[in-house]
Amino acid sequence: MANERLRLLEEVEKEIAVVLQCAGNIVLELSKDKHNASLLDRQLVQFQTSINRVESELSAQIRYLTQVATGQPHEGSTYSTRKDCQMSLNRAEYAKVKLGELGRTCEAMLEQQQI
Amino acid sequence: MANQRVLPQSKETLLQNYNKRLKDDIRSIMDNFTEIIKTAKIEDETQVSRPTQAEQDHYEMHVRAANIVRAGESLMKLVSDLKQFLILNDFPSVNDAISQQNQQLRALQDECDKKLTSLRDEIAVDLYELEEEYYSSSYGQWNSTDLPLCEAYRRRDSWASPDGSSSSTQDDREDSDGTPSQEANAQHHVNGHGTASTEKP
Repeated sequence: MANERLRLLEEVEKEIAVVLQCAGNIVLELSKDKHNASLLDRQLVQFQTSINRVESELSAQIRYLTQVATGQPHEGSTYSTRKDCQMSLNRAEYAKVKLGELGRTCEAMLEQQQI
Repeated sequence: MANQRVLPQSKETLLQNYNKRLKDDIRSIMDNFTEIIKTAKIEDETQVSRPTQAEQDHYEMHVRAANIVRAGESLMKLVSDLKQFLILNDFPSVNDAISQQNQQLRALQDECDKKLTSLRDEIAVDLYELEEEYYSSSYGQWNSTDLPLCEAYRRRDSWASPDGSSSSTQDDREDSDGTPSQEANAQHHVNGHGTASTEKP
């Protein structure tokens, strides 16, 4: 859910860039002697669509934040489960080390017997 | 608003500020763009001459274009502030992220422990055989001056018993004959496996 909201804000940033791009293209087209009417229409529609989308999306985000925001800091943490998982991985690593030692000892014994 | 809650003054002020910035920037973009389009219209000559009017229009368009870009930049800053505010204060999503992470870590821990347990069960049999081999070999012997406690008690008990004198001599003979075998037998007791002694003099 958090990633979805942040992703929407990323899309809003791209829309703002589209707004400025469209405004620049329209002014550029108007500066020419002969205007391409269809291009002007497309760019204008794109400009209006994008700016409306930016305004609606940002208003929705601010409305949502008004509803969920408190004044308190969040005190949740994943520290304990992370520590438990880390200890479990340490156990596995220790077992691996000990088995390695055992294997080397057995191999040394076998080599000695062969000699 | 039906769900209006009482927020701390700073948070409420901040969100109102965000709203105001959004409205101002959008209005700025729309107004300046509309004025640029209006200024692009060629009109009949007015009080000032055409070059002067052109120069004025040129300067006005520059300023309005700069205003549009400034408003766009301000909107980008607003989006950045909203992202920051969201990460810090959107508790439902933070709780979701924490619980998801906890779930993943617990699953990893359970998998690791399950694999360790199955590994333990698998090598238990092999370890048993290795111990048997080790303690019945010469490497499992101990020095007579450095007895383990169990062996010391066993010898003391055998000396203290009624058959202790004969058994002690017998032990001495056995000691002189085959110390390794007796110590190997004792080692079996120490080991706790309780197997019958294999080596007899």
